[in-house]
Amino acid sequence: MRLFVWSATRLFSAALTLLGVSILIFGAMRLMPGGYATIVLGPLASPEQRAELTASFGLNDPILVQYAHWIQTAFGGDFGRSLVSNDPVAAELGSRLPVTLQLTLMSAIPGVLIGAALGILIAVRRGTRGRALGRIASALGVSLPEYVVGGIAVYLFSRYALGLTVGGYVPFGEDPATNLAAMVLPASVLAVFVVSATARTTRDAVLNVLHEPYITTAVSRGQSPWSIVRHHVLRNAAIPVLVVASTVTAYLLGGAVIVEYLFNLPGVGSYVVQAITRRDYAVVQAGVLLAAALFIFTNMVVDLLVGVIDPRLGVSK
Amino acid sequence: MKRLDGIARSGLVFLLALVVLVVVAQVTGLGGDPEKIVGPRLAPPGPEWWLGTDSLGRSTLPRVLQGTGTSLLLSAVAVLATAVVATALGVLAGYQGGALNEIVMRVVDVLYSFPAIILAILVAALVNPGLDAAVASIVLVTIPLMTRVVRAAALTVSHRDYVTSAIISGARLPRVLGRHILPNVAGTVAVQGTYALSIGILVEGGLSFLGLGVQPPQASLGVLISEGTVYLTYAPWLLLGPGVVLVLAILSINVLGDGLRDQLDPRTSRSLT
Amino acid sequence: MTHLLDVRDLVVDYVLADRRVRALDGASLTMASGESVALVGESGSGKSTLGSAAGRLLPPSADLRSGDIAVLGESLAGLSNARIRQVRRERLGFVFQDPIGALDPTMRIGRQMRLAQGDRGSIRDQLERVRLNDPERVMRAFPHQLSGGMAQRVGIAMALSARPRLLVADEPTAALDSQVRQDVLDTVFALAAEAGTGILLLTHDLSAVSRRCSRMAVMYGGRVVEDGPTAEVLSSPLHPYTAALARSVPGNTARGERLESIPGRPPVLTSESAGCAFAARCAFAEDRCRNERPVPTRVDGRTVLCHRVAEGVS
Repeated sequence: MRLFVWSATRLFSAALTLLGVSILIFGAMRLMPGGYATIVLGPLASPEQRAELTASFGLNDPILVQYAHWIQTAFGGDFGRSLVSNDPVAAELGSRLPVTLQLTLMSAIPGVLIGAALGILIAVRRGTRGRALGRIASALGVSLPEYVVGGIAVYLFSRYALGLTVGGYVPFGEDPATNLAAMVLPASVLAVFVVSATARTTRDAVLNVLHEPYITTAVSRGQSPWSIVRHHVLRNAAIPVLVVASTVTAYLLGGAVIVEYLFNLPGVGSYVVQAITRRDYAVVQAGVLLAAALFIFTNMVVDLLVGVIDPRLGVSK
Repeated sequence: MKRLDGIARSGLVFLLALVVLVVVAQVTGLGGDPEKIVGPRLAPPGPEWWLGTDSLGRSTLPRVLQGTGTSLLLSAVAVLATAVVATALGVLAGYQGGALNEIVMRVVDVLYSFPAIILAILVAALVNPGLDAAVASIVLVTIPLMTRVVRAAALTVSHRDYVTSAIISGARLPRVLGRHILPNVAGTVAVQGTYALSIGILVEGGLSFLGLGVQPPQASLGVLISEGTVYLTYAPWLLLGPGVVLVLAILSINVLGDGLRDQLDPRTSRSLT
Repeated sequence: MTHLLDVRDLVVDYVLADRRVRALDGASLTMASGESVALVGESGSGKSTLGSAAGRLLPPSADLRSGDIAVLGESLAGLSNARIRQVRRERLGFVFQDPIGALDPTMRIGRQMRLAQGDRGSIRDQLERVRLNDPERVMRAFPHQLSGGMAQRVGIAMALSARPRLLVADEPTAALDSQVRQDVLDTVFALAAEAGTGILLLTHDLSAVSRRCSRMAVMYGGRVVEDGPTAEVLSSPLHPYTAALARSVPGNTARGERLESIPGRPPVLTSESAGCAFAARCAFAEDRCRNERPVPTRVDGRTVLCHRVAEGVS
């Protein structure tokens, strides 16, 4: 019952947020200077072209009708056509999504595992020197932007041929070895932040849990450190560590844009960046909506999992 | 600022030194004229151009100093705007609660749903790429983060006894907010402001790197890194100079933020043996 | 004879970021097997530090300067980590002030108890022994679903499940309603008496002490200033601080007489106290009290730390 109530509220909240996001994106695109027609056709379009577009997009309809139409087509998977190539945006996104997914998963999964292990180690080790070092290292990790790390990696690997290729992406299905060789480097660049952010959060979470009275009680009962970590610390510290998953997702969605651009990977991110420079707003709109929806979805899953671990959540006050 | 530990203090010192250096360079022309062509193109670091020259033969050092100034100033302006807006929203939402709180938090949730760079891309698509796009992006990215934390702090404070007794004794809203709530969330705002500054520098860098932020010929750390990436294989120092400054600036801001936070909430945890 | 607990001249400092605070300034206390002793003092007097030291549970910021703690003749300071855990498991039990916080919020009570006591007997029985009405329901509950009194009973059941030789109870009822307080204390003392467990009850609640503990030790400024049979200490205190403390208890004064509070504040020591720590607040203090540390004096089966005890000042 508790979990049902909790899940229902989280689902409702996510739906509401998604609604807000779609209104914001829609509003932003409609309220731009010059109006939607200018966005779509560019400032040099003739009045006839504008009139035609206004009619075909239903731009004379009430704004709510326009929004309803837009949202209906968008959630039906139709994001319109690219203004540059006139191809359906959805098809292009679909073909590029696997690249972005592979990139983010290849950095997220090992990154979170390594980061969590490091964070626990730093927190449980009590030597002051090791701690100061851990603090600087984890602060450094989250201060290294991918456009700097990536640049250095590109330089090192293109110059000294260290086994991994820079660029030269082929789909995994075509040639797994070449694909991995091309993907490891960009994924590692993204993983720098993932590892440090996870390690930092895990360290703080574990330290906070170690401060709790139930840990003192467990120590006073003569439980071994390993048993305390396994039964009490990990479980309770898992809550903030799960929450960092949302930070990591947000970072990866943005970081993928930069890394794909830098490493020339044909993912969603590089598609959107190209689109902006070409003023291809249908693509920008779709890309931004997709990223926000993915992020909202991850946050909702995280919230649900936290509710499973923490029995205090979802209890009506 | 009672007691910052060594790491946090060195962060603060580095940051101040960087600001002083940039200001001094601006005023005295230290390091040379950033616009002047002084030597061959893409020359490696040497006695006349300490950080090498760029693709036009300009010395990189003055450009890095100028770019650092742009990045810091632009982020600081944005964070100041964020601090004002987020403190107002957070304090009102946390203290008043009710419908106001619902609305503020909903809006914050919506803004928070855009990953930083994605939100910045949306802004850059709306406003034309440039300084104002970068500032607007930083403000929009940092507002939800800061508002949430300030609201939580204001909520905690508003339940304290002295606030309750001030209300009972008839203090008016501005007085309660000004005398009791604001001073108690000031520390939180300072910590979050520090973190926001580092996010600001990161976002500016990312946007300018993608060509959507500050536009050349104006220099910013992001612009210089972007230029450096183009000539990476011939002239890696073009990336290294601004890259190192950017990383060190962000790092020192982050450790300063950590130190401030630890000072605000000192916790000791127990040993397991 | 080996003592159940033997704390000898214990000196403990807390090392804070910018200074040291002396929590124990040469505290001594002994307990015989099965004895119930109340350790009484204001907050800051050092009683919690002494209680934690009895299980080598001091936080990392604590610095044990000198002195010794022994449980059943075994000095705790030099024990290996494995051995101290064994001592905690087999000989010691602890109950703390915050009953709900002492339980892991994410784990059902039944599982926590199983974890705490291993395979020793039925959890249901343990919960019934601490007089919890519906043990099945309690076992299925999470800590936040229990009342403070129920949670403290769970804590007591866990602490006593191994039939320890010594139970250290640090203000176990301070967070509970006064009605529940008496019941919980009755349960603890009855179960401990049955198992032959000695109790060290840390408290500032003198009325709880007078009926239950045969002996009481009064702490002030990090030292035990008076130690003797409860009834005698309360009825004819020898140390001026004890006397002041006894006068401040509601039940101890005759009708119409004023309850007295002690003027001044308890000291915060940063290093060894030069003389008697109470001298600044004591009506009988003389030069020697301020400059010379009092040594334990035996008077009528009591141990007192007061220069003027022979003069019978209080």
